Amino acid sequence: MTSNPSPVGGPADGLAAASALRAIADRLEDAEVERAMRAGWSWSQVAEALGVTRQAVHKKHLRRLLMAQIELRRRNNE
Amino acid sequence: MNRVFDPPRLARLLVSWEIGSSVGRQFVVEAKRDGAEFIEAEHMLLALAASADSEAAKLLHEFGLDHKRLVAALRAERRQTLAFVGMTATDTKLGEATERDGPPSLGTSAKVAVRRALIGSRHDRRRARLRGTDLLAGILEAEFGTVPRALAIAGIDRAALLSRARGSE
Repeated sequence: MTSNPSPVGGPADGLAAASALRAIADRLEDAEVERAMRAGWSWSQVAEALGVTRQAVHKKHLRRLLMAQIELRRRNNE
Repeated sequence: MNRVFDPPRLARLLVSWEIGSSVGRQFVVEAKRDGAEFIEAEHMLLALAASADSEAAKLLHEFGLDHKRLVAALRAERRQTLAFVGMTATDTKLGEATERDGPPSLGTSAKVAVRRALIGSRHDRRRARLRGTDLLAGILEAEFGTVPRALAIAGIDRAALLSRARGSE
């Protein structure tokens, strides 16, 4: 135990890695949700594959996917 | 303290900085170049280094840090971080996603840096005036995270640089 730990090595490397992996996971989700929706997946299918609710995936990605001009499936077509 | 982070106040601060709002635009450039969702402290540091005639950039240069060297230091930090989980930068090449619209917002490390800059500076509170060196000091106060890691890996004396940033006129 030290009162003044280093920003590199030991737990600092592990904590930095956890933070980096979180950002990588977010970018991967953005890319793969977009890929799935371009391939015609429904919101419900994407949500189930991600293990989150349809509302959650919708809230997080809708605006960006509209910007990407992806033709999104309407709910009654799911 | 949260009022510090509301966009109009932050915009006024940016405009009143010695290097003006161009540095604020550069935050966005650096964050986007990095593929980041948020502006973080390292993007602010790169932006300060990129404003070549500013006091902050001159001070960084005295410590051997220009924009190019900082980019290299941040890459080295990234390599060491990913190595902890057995990954390389190549492993993180992912599919392309459409960018979110609008400029990225400030991430936690950037907000903390601004807060520290305001607390530690001798800026005129009535005019909300803040210098680039104040922001540099705010960034350098972080003991953990990407910036102190990159500086440590590059062999830069962060404490000495911080002391100069705080003491600069």
